[in-house]
Amino acid sequence: MTQKTEAAVLGSGPGGYVAAIRLGQLGKETILIEKDKLGGVCLNIGCIPSKALIRVAKLKQRVEAAKQIGLEVTGVNVDFAKVQTWKQSVVDRLVSGIDYLLKGNNVKVVKGTGKFIEAHQLEVKSLSGTEIIEAKDIIIATGSRYFDLPTFKFNGTTIISSTEALSLQQVPKKLAIIGGGVSGLEIGTMYAQLGSKVTVIEMLDQLLPGTDIDLVRIVERSLRKLGIEYHVKSRAKEYRDGKVYATLEDGKEGAFDADKVLVTVGRRPNSDEIGLKKVGIQTDPHGFIQVNKKMQTNLPGVYAIGDVVGPPMLAHKASKEGIVAAEVIAGMNSEADFHAIPGVIFTDPEIATVGLTESQAKERGYDPIIGKFPFTALGRALLAGETEGFAKIVADKNSNLVLGVHIVGAEASDLISEAALAIEMGATLEDIGFTVHPHPTLPESVMEAAEAAKGKAIHILQK
Amino acid sequence: MVYEFRLPDVGEGVAEGEVVKWLVKEGDEVKENQPLVEIMTDKVNVEIPSPKQGIIQKLMAKEGEVVKVGQALLSIEEKGGQPTVSASERTPVGTKPSPPTSAKTPTIAIPQEIPLTTPPQASRKPDEILATPATRKLARDLGVDISVVQGTGRGGRITDEDVQRFKQLGRAVAAVTVTTSGPRGVEERVPLRGIRRKVAEHMLKSKNATAQVTHVDEVDMTEIVHLRERAKTSAEKRGVKLTYLPFVIKALIPALKQYPYLNSSLDDEKEEIVLKKYYNIGIATDTESGLVVPVVKDAEHKSITQLGLEIATLSEKAHAGQLALNEVQGSTFTITNVGGIGGVFATPIINYPEVAILGLHKITKRPVVKDNQITIRDMTYLSLSFDHRVLDGAMAARFVNAIKQYLEDPKLLLLETD
Repeated sequence: MTQKTEAAVLGSGPGGYVAAIRLGQLGKETILIEKDKLGGVCLNIGCIPSKALIRVAKLKQRVEAAKQIGLEVTGVNVDFAKVQTWKQSVVDRLVSGIDYLLKGNNVKVVKGTGKFIEAHQLEVKSLSGTEIIEAKDIIIATGSRYFDLPTFKFNGTTIISSTEALSLQQVPKKLAIIGGGVSGLEIGTMYAQLGSKVTVIEMLDQLLPGTDIDLVRIVERSLRKLGIEYHVKSRAKEYRDGKVYATLEDGKEGAFDADKVLVTVGRRPNSDEIGLKKVGIQTDPHGFIQVNKKMQTNLPGVYAIGDVVGPPMLAHKASKEGIVAAEVIAGMNSEADFHAIPGVIFTDPEIATVGLTESQAKERGYDPIIGKFPFTALGRALLAGETEGFAKIVADKNSNLVLGVHIVGAEASDLISEAALAIEMGATLEDIGFTVHPHPTLPESVMEAAEAAKGKAIHILQK
Repeated sequence: MVYEFRLPDVGEGVAEGEVVKWLVKEGDEVKENQPLVEIMTDKVNVEIPSPKQGIIQKLMAKEGEVVKVGQALLSIEEKGGQPTVSASERTPVGTKPSPPTSAKTPTIAIPQEIPLTTPPQASRKPDEILATPATRKLARDLGVDISVVQGTGRGGRITDEDVQRFKQLGRAVAAVTVTTSGPRGVEERVPLRGIRRKVAEHMLKSKNATAQVTHVDEVDMTEIVHLRERAKTSAEKRGVKLTYLPFVIKALIPALKQYPYLNSSLDDEKEEIVLKKYYNIGIATDTESGLVVPVVKDAEHKSITQLGLEIATLSEKAHAGQLALNEVQGSTFTITNVGGIGGVFATPIINYPEVAILGLHKITKRPVVKDNQITIRDMTYLSLSFDHRVLDGAMAARFVNAIKQYLEDPKLLLLETD
């Protein structure tokens, strides 16, 4: 059977479903193809489930710490199976919400695995058969998948991916994590707070590679407090008899008890099984589909968005790109011309960054100045008992233009949007500093950091 | 390999052109030398051929947009290529133009290829463009390349107004016809494009740059009417449909020679009047898309039939929109004829930088007193608009008298050499 439509979207993650909704809003007849569940990795096995578990773990940790402020709770007990049920209910609710929005925007969902057979034809295979979808415009939003290591092959029970790690019915007693990146540290922190003994083995020279080391230091301290053992510049070799063996930084051999080994060493684009070669859609050597700022591939009428076009592999980047692609299809003059894409890491404390770091600013030829404001000087952080961290602002000395904001601390993920707006708007230090921020709140840290860059912060001494 | 194809230099000092019509669309496969786009320069349309065989990846200008020589027009992908770079990574306006050529035909062939790996030169990096997301969108919607807009806001920020102003300067325009409801009912907004826009610019420039006066006289055309009647048949045998224009040109040339200030232009910068010793006569021609002025070159060396043939050819080309650049440039004096349509007389606007324009009007039989007798003669009015900066009313009147003398007594033309 062949179905003809104006637009088809391959993949319903945060890139694909958003693109489909926007296409629907713009009056395009749209088919959304999904091989598994609506919402893709992010909703079903990524951001949302991990944040659900992280919330529970953090809450437990806060409740236990509450006796310091006179709130003593005894007998905190984690029913992890119930936690998982609750997590799933949140996921289900979000998925049904997407279903509702797609229907409301006249997007037709076709379940099955799609691949290109012609430039404008997708073959979709499902249990109920094979059908051809022919579309004038196609958006590839197939995302990415994690990969394992030759020495640590996923087996679904002991050597696991983040998917299984987020679906465990019991908190593992001893968890080893290969790869100290975002997923590894988020899940590691969560299980440590829920009582696991966690070991992290990272090959590169720092945890959270690519993140400003100033911020990472704060997180490292908190990892140590949680009893997480971590080793950088270390290479995990094998998992045998309940132990992970590794060569450590100093050349010594290490062995770490683990009943589960979580491998989080990176993700690869889902571009290899969708018939790109057959129709001549170009990818780079890493398999990322090459696109321009209108998200157009080299093949006219074919667009690609999200993880499959390259890093940063972030849901919100995919969504924005999806909107751009949909609008371009509808004849609008849209472009992915964002100045900065914020990144957030849900460790405890959280990290959130947007824009340039100090060294990146120097590379670009700016003369950067830095303003830093510690959470210890922030009333609201004291009240929350979360004084670890700071907000750091990078600006151009001559123009005071805000170039980057980097926050490690309580609710950093919720603080970064103001900074992203500032950068998109071309705001200066004064713009942020002179904006009235309500007291007592955590965003005051951003305002104070802006003032600190000019040596004028009120709540710290800058002599 | 992907090439960014830039507007080539089409010669004759043309610095920019308007994209009138795309002849290809994104995704089309094109052959080498296949026409890609119709570009309107100062006065004519030219078709720009493809320098490459390949697939059109991206059209980088909208119809109606004015592009400068050297500005990216489109990208073409050859076999085994890579995707295009984005518009904002384009190399900016004003890159090295190719050497000028003289365009003999409407199609010019000066393909210029620049590999996409060429780094941007003057335009800012996308993330250094100081403009809010809304302003950036406004620029895209208006077809303005924001990377070349000068910001007037604090610290060089590009404001909405900067983008609007850039657009209004006519340097980058995207327009659509929209019907809207105005305060008094339905209004249609027609974009000012192509020839219309050029006419608007030229007329305003002429009016602003000169001190124009119009002198009118009446002329007895009876002799010319008879002469034309007699010459018509023999001309037709040579395939020429003879109008009055060649006769007027014949009468005009000796008058211009006698009054060289009428065949001049004013060099404002050097404060010099340039008297031209060659006689290229512009013929204002009404076409469907607007006024164009093809030029009869070296009119002083041409016979009535030659002139007739040439005017007919130029007129045909003008109506077909096929005039080459060199066929509309270099006129020293212009004639405009509204006689075929009607009216008593008009006050034409000088074809700047010329200093005078002669208006011809309809020839009608009128009672005229001649030798104390009322007789019926073929009469017309001549109107001469001239630039009072360069010459005065007396000279203009004498000049018209000279033309009049030759038109009323064409035999006198025998006394003139070319």
